[in-house]
Amino acid sequence: MKFITAYCHLRENICSVNGEIVSMRDNDSADSWFKQIYKEQEFAYPKFYKMDVLSQAGFLTSELIKRANPGLITDYNDDEVAMLFANRSSSAETDLKFIHSYQHNGAPSPSLFVYTLPNIVMGEIAILNKWYGENLFAVLPGFNPDFYMNHCSILLSADSEAVLCSWLEVTGYQIDAFTFLIEKKGEKSIEFTKDTLSELAELGGQQNKNYANY
Amino acid sequence: MEDLKEELKKQLIEQLNLEEISPADIDDDTLLFSDKGLGLDSIDALELIVLLEKYHGIQVTKPEEGKEVFRSINSMAEYICKRKS
Repeated sequence: MKFITAYCHLRENICSVNGEIVSMRDNDSADSWFKQIYKEQEFAYPKFYKMDVLSQAGFLTSELIKRANPGLITDYNDDEVAMLFANRSSSAETDLKFIHSYQHNGAPSPSLFVYTLPNIVMGEIAILNKWYGENLFAVLPGFNPDFYMNHCSILLSADSEAVLCSWLEVTGYQIDAFTFLIEKKGEKSIEFTKDTLSELAELGGQQNKNYANY
Repeated sequence: MEDLKEELKKQLIEQLNLEEISPADIDDDTLLFSDKGLGLDSIDALELIVLLEKYHGIQVTKPEEGKEVFRSINSMAEYICKRKS
């Protein structure tokens, strides 16, 4: 049996951890939405400011998962935590910014170029946490519980003891990030099944909608 | 020269997205690539090359010069003055 021991939703207007909203977007703020969360949650990792939006979303949701479940850092060896990420648009948002940088700003930006691959977000998280486990980033037509079920099953039957999973779609003004932690142990947690994962995935959209109607 | 150094500090902050740093936080002799200084990395080094070309029209054609040129704001200002003279 496997468990979903923590989960985090990051949408256009809300950020929630284990279903509890931890940040709501302030449309009057001069800061970007991701920067608002970074400051509000008092994170201290200056490299955040240099990351592209995909990596910022991955950073914020994975750090919030760690806060919700500190065992992720203390209970495992550095090669026992795997990462399994996916999205639909790859790194398109940063690809477009990179094109813009050399078409309109006179010179291509090296710091944008390094983010023109979607799996860089996992590199950022691995560097920060000094994780050396397995990692995979897939580009899929949409969120698919089977993808996570099947790959987690393979990873956890090999050398991984926990899997940090994420659906990480950030394009223009559309944000749909759902990061969750799968562990072999977690007695009071949610059992990891296709149905429970589908239900949790929909929660972020509902919370975001509620905020918009509020 | 002093105006150029202040200008460089602002350009560096903008080009490298150093959002938690203001020009006043950077001394003229702060080491740019040391952990005791700004702690810049290899990607930042490429951004500095772009900065010199974008704002000052200077191409760094000898890579071996980079280490000394990008040591501090002082060395960058001196290099720009030397190349423009």
